Amino acid sequence: MEQEAPVGVRESGDSGRSFLSRLASAAAPPLVLASLAALPLFSPGPNTVRLLFVTLTLVTASVGWNLLGGFAGQISFGFAVFYGLGAYTAALSINGGIPPVLAFLLGAAVAALASLLVGLPTFRLKGPYFAIATIGVSEAVRVVMTNVPWTGGASGYRIIEKGRFLQMHHYYTALTLAALAVGISILVRRSKLGLALIAIREDQDAASDLGVNPFATKLLVHALAAALAGAAGGVYARYAAFIDPDGVFAFRNGIAILLMPIIGGVGTIWGPVIGAFVYGLIHEEVVAYFPQAHLLIFGSLLILIILFEPAGVVGLSNRLMRLFARERKS
Amino acid sequence: MSAADLLNLFIAAVLLAGVYAAMSVGMTIIYGVMKIVNLAHAGFLMLGAYFVYEAYEQFHIDPLLGVLLAFPVFFFLGMGVHWLLVRRIATSDQPTLTSLLLLFGVWLVLQNLGYLIWGNSDRAILTPRTLSSLEIGPISFPTVRLVVFGAAVVSLVVLEFVLHKTWFGRSVRALMQNNEAGQIVGVNVQRTAQVAFGVGIAFAGAAGGLLAMLYSFSPDFGATFQLRAFVIIVLGGLESFGGVAIGALILALAETFCILVVPASYQPAIAFSLLVLALIVLPDGVAGLWNKRRRWA
Repeated sequence: MEQEAPVGVRESGDSGRSFLSRLASAAAPPLVLASLAALPLFSPGPNTVRLLFVTLTLVTASVGWNLLGGFAGQISFGFAVFYGLGAYTAALSINGGIPPVLAFLLGAAVAALASLLVGLPTFRLKGPYFAIATIGVSEAVRVVMTNVPWTGGASGYRIIEKGRFLQMHHYYTALTLAALAVGISILVRRSKLGLALIAIREDQDAASDLGVNPFATKLLVHALAAALAGAAGGVYARYAAFIDPDGVFAFRNGIAILLMPIIGGVGTIWGPVIGAFVYGLIHEEVVAYFPQAHLLIFGSLLILIILFEPAGVVGLSNRLMRLFARERKS
Repeated sequence: MSAADLLNLFIAAVLLAGVYAAMSVGMTIIYGVMKIVNLAHAGFLMLGAYFVYEAYEQFHIDPLLGVLLAFPVFFFLGMGVHWLLVRRIATSDQPTLTSLLLLFGVWLVLQNLGYLIWGNSDRAILTPRTLSSLEIGPISFPTVRLVVFGAAVVSLVVLEFVLHKTWFGRSVRALMQNNEAGQIVGVNVQRTAQVAFGVGIAFAGAAGGLLAMLYSFSPDFGATFQLRAFVIIVLGGLESFGGVAIGALILALAETFCILVVPASYQPAIAFSLLVLALIVLPDGVAGLWNKRRRWA
């Protein structure tokens, strides 16, 4: 029988890579982080800061999705739910006088709790049930949120904060959260949990023979991923100061959160980050230039990636690097 | 609430179940043979609706005849999609991530094509049938619903006949029961899969046409029906044709009678609640329950 071709790539060993390329890949993340942290030195315009802020919240959600979709191989179409719940929880808490950091944590906690709603009934079963349920959950939650009166229903909810609006303050919050998310991703990947997740992705039965509890492990990583998406939603909500169900719970947010890791490279540490930057920086341009056809473009992109380079940008660059190395040898 | 009202609701639910079954059976065939969850189903439902609509508006083809025409057209469309995309990905006895994502991409493309061609305004197919109804005593049957129900049932009966009396049908059922054993006895997997995909898409297109006779539609309209189709095939146990009929009936009854209890604005959440409930209580679907009962006996 044909085995499932995993979407993700396994990180290739360092053997066979030149010292220079190893140095480059080790130095790149701190350099990028440092230049993002030193952003005020470049005196960027408010629109650039806004774009980077949004991109950084996307990085957080994308890295979160990858914990579940990339490492454990469970495709979710419903991450908009966690993003939206985090946004609403943070908004309600901030208006209730709770300090923002605590509000973000609350948003993450509520999202993690909500992840059980889909996880508990589906993770015990084999088959496509989880992916199917995630398609339904965002629509169901959006409908409920459109109708509940205490968050303003369909007309949305406004966050009122006293004090001056400091864009850089929001930017650094998003940067900290994104760095935290990447840190969690690295820790998970290197821990026993990460090994268990990859074992589940490759062969769930074999994993449970080796003493991994697939049900509990998937629930745990789903909650962790949801918490990251929820925190990202909370940070975004505080910046936007206004949220509505059609905005934060929209199915297209779920699509975006899934598309980013796939563009960058599912199942890798840096793929989701690269994918989020690619998506975050080009998305608005694409929507602006092709307002009628941007889903067509992203859908075709998805099809092309799946058929030709399932490992995304990371896989493509690995392939180019190998090609380059081979040519130099000959 | 009189007895006649309840009876009317019940009849409405049964009539709805017919078209629900027709719209879900295509997913069951494709899942059964290839273990692929066809996330692009919604896109083909939508295309089917516009196909019948355009046939009626441009060429004055009766919608019922349009639905009949949709079968061959969408059959070849489905075979084409299989040839172009689906056959290139590996399959397994479990749905693969690649297949989910690929068909999801197809859905996005189809939906956006719909927006490009027809815009996002709602359309509806209005024929003299649309508003007439048949009255028998206190019970009224809306004509269009009767016609749609009849067409759905006829198509399902023809499918059942094909599955049981032709070599293609036997190959399909063999692959559904045991893929490897089917290959050993000489079933051509690739060809059967291609034809099965075509049949699945043909049913999606035709069901979309039938739905278009009942509801107004926009390029987005497949999505809610796709969720319903998921619920129905999960209730039915994913791979059972009898299960699809029962699942369709359960969902139609739940939706129809929930109007009495749940505010209409929460209606779209009902299908999802039923899905979660089904996964907790009946993970193998109604067919699984039936099998279990048989094992005990």
